[in-house]
Amino acid sequence: MKAVKAVFRNPSLLTFLLVALVWLVASLTLRGFGAYGHLRYLLELAAVIGIVAAGQTLVILMGGIDLSVGAVITVTAILLPLISPAADPTGLVGIVLALALATGIGLLNGAGAAYLRVPPIIMTLAMATFLQGLLVIVAGGSAVTVSNPAVILLGQARPLGIPAGILLWIVVSIVVLLIIHRMPLGARFLALGANPLAARLSGVSVARNTLLLYALSGFFAGLAGILVLGMNRQGYVGIGDPYLLMSIAAVVLGGTSILGGRGTYAGTIPGAILLVTTTALITVVNASPGWRSIMFGSLILALLLISGREARR
Amino acid sequence: MTETRPLLEARQVFKGFFGNPVLKGVDIALHPGRVHALLGENGAGKSTLINLLSGALQPDSGTILVDGRPVGRFSPAAARAAGIAVVQQELSLTADLSIAENIGLGAFPRRFGLIDYAALQKGVGEVCAMVGLTEPLDMPVADLSLGRRQMVEIAKALFRKPRVLILDEPTSSLSAHEAGILARLIGTLRDRGTALLYISHRLNEVQALCAHVTVLKDGGVTADQSLAGIDGEGLVRLMVGRETGDLFPPRSVNVSGATRISVEKFSAGLMREIGFSARAGEIVGIGGLVGQGQEDLLLGLYGAIPARADHAEVSGLPRLPAHVGEANAAGIVYVPADRKHEGLVLPHSIAVNLILPSLGRLARRGFRDRAAEAGLIADLARRLTIKGDVARPVQALSGGNQQKVALAKWLPLDPSILLLNDPTRGVDIETKREIYLMLRAFATEGRLVILASSDTPELVHLCDRVVVLREGRVAARLSGAAISEEAIVGAAMGIHEQGEAA
Repeated sequence: MKAVKAVFRNPSLLTFLLVALVWLVASLTLRGFGAYGHLRYLLELAAVIGIVAAGQTLVILMGGIDLSVGAVITVTAILLPLISPAADPTGLVGIVLALALATGIGLLNGAGAAYLRVPPIIMTLAMATFLQGLLVIVAGGSAVTVSNPAVILLGQARPLGIPAGILLWIVVSIVVLLIIHRMPLGARFLALGANPLAARLSGVSVARNTLLLYALSGFFAGLAGILVLGMNRQGYVGIGDPYLLMSIAAVVLGGTSILGGRGTYAGTIPGAILLVTTTALITVVNASPGWRSIMFGSLILALLLISGREARR
Repeated sequence: MTETRPLLEARQVFKGFFGNPVLKGVDIALHPGRVHALLGENGAGKSTLINLLSGALQPDSGTILVDGRPVGRFSPAAARAAGIAVVQQELSLTADLSIAENIGLGAFPRRFGLIDYAALQKGVGEVCAMVGLTEPLDMPVADLSLGRRQMVEIAKALFRKPRVLILDEPTSSLSAHEAGILARLIGTLRDRGTALLYISHRLNEVQALCAHVTVLKDGGVTADQSLAGIDGEGLVRLMVGRETGDLFPPRSVNVSGATRISVEKFSAGLMREIGFSARAGEIVGIGGLVGQGQEDLLLGLYGAIPARADHAEVSGLPRLPAHVGEANAAGIVYVPADRKHEGLVLPHSIAVNLILPSLGRLARRGFRDRAAEAGLIADLARRLTIKGDVARPVQALSGGNQQKVALAKWLPLDPSILLLNDPTRGVDIETKREIYLMLRAFATEGRLVILASSDTPELVHLCDRVVVLREGRVAARLSGAAISEEAIVGAAMGIHEQGEAA
């Protein structure tokens, strides 16, 4: 009985159990769901969401929000092929440039929030709109095909049968969990999220931490953009759009308070997996795309209500 | 004598949180036309008892009786319907609404389904006159000082024409003048037959206003008796079971050290071009009415608000600290008055709060050193006698213990200047004594303690020098034998403007 109560007080664990339950039931009832290839595919999709949501988790923990992650993914996916120098056979230079660009965008978000005191919701939304306009000018309406070998490797390689994207996600998870739970930085983010005034009077620099966090969020969104590009082999306007809502939903599904100050990336990980699983299950149902969207939206809302209720305890 | 029937009564109520019993079989009866004092140290269960009496919490066992009849499920709505009003210690006002709207909130007079502003204005005008609120009624509460807001809070309770009025430390943020108005108001209500419950740590108020006392200690009632014939000493004996004489530690022989703070023409917030200096080993008191710039002086010296000065030397810096980080690095620390909003990260654990300023210092190669942190936390908890599990959220602690955490977290920095803003507000006598001892020890160790306080006895008995502020300027500088309650209050009210140089 005590163990059951402990589970219900731990939102991350609860979300993990929910994923396991859904997978188990779906494997037993739906033909082909439980196949290794299919589950691996789900995790590969979840990896993109998980990596975007890594930055989003950090930002939300500090009481902010980043609405520009979708646009940053699109920017990275479209601009990376254009800025990869042909002279570089490895393609790593292009990746470094793209990540620097994404981090820079995040840094601008942070500067707006920290120095101009623009509310993050406005700052990042304005940034997203600005970037979308820029892309239409730069890329027009056409898709860009990637030839950067490192990006293709990231999207397609399967060392030991495990997709490289999943391996990247594991590395990102370890880094983010270390930041939150093992570094002074994480404790400062949480303090700022729970009570910015008290944190400031305790010597925690609001400006420095805000800059750092939005830069990190930009970096992770850029990383996810590169992964999406590698998996799709093409970048086009709108490729990153679905990941905005997904990243926020994954964070909240994992039990992190949308108001900041409480939560962990350990919850976001199963949150991301739960999201893609739900999408996959809806796809199985024979319904028109319109109804599928409606079902997906309602399901996210329902899941959030359930997990939100537990988190309030 | 014919005993009147109590309006509100609790019989053998028990209440616990997370398995910790807070109230263990408490009886209390509030009679009409009587001011009943509720005393007890922080953590004794006063707040919980108030919550039970106002329906905010349900007792685990025992009964609440209204007009002698037990009520089954008592709720805040039922309590309001029964005419029970509470003035909370934590202000429950909405800053953006006007005084009138705040007072009427939840009980707006309606006309055709809309708020009847004319009727509201009239009703609110009456209660505001009772509490001496002269500000325009359409002024937003955000523009009022803490003390004035407290008066709005009281007016809000009165607007509901309560039969039972519970006042939880109503004077902790009031000036002497406002406290006087409140005292007269309490007398009026008592004569009208209202039952009053008065909670305060200021024993002279309790003695002056109350006729009956209930003393709580560790969740039980240790005294329930008439106050007739009991003096202040007796009250304290009832509360702590010993004499008061040693509330303030003896002043040490004045060993003035080097100058730690020296500012000329210092301006910040409300402060207007004042000169101020203080030396190591001193406790310097900052007095005055509520909201005369005391907080701005401390925050300006701490680098937390923009400040400027013609000449400044603070803790070895040749200027004012530009931000909090710089102040901390120079050994300047600040303990805010509002510990719930400014001092502590309430939902986080005691341990996290204690470690927050030391995180960077304790880290090794960028990672937190858990063993070192645990050692430091255990050491701080032991030194400040913070009892219990440090993994509990700090909001689970009583006010006094929260204040100890807010103070303790700075000790690892080995500060040379401590800026304290009303550190004993809402703190019980026992913890007050501990804090006074600690401050005196700091001074003896050669630290400089700047103590802004709304508690005049504290300034008189603890401080080596007192600077009284009035409207952003220095109204008096007192030292040694010149420090007295009369001198401080007089200067604060603008009666003796001339101050002698310290």
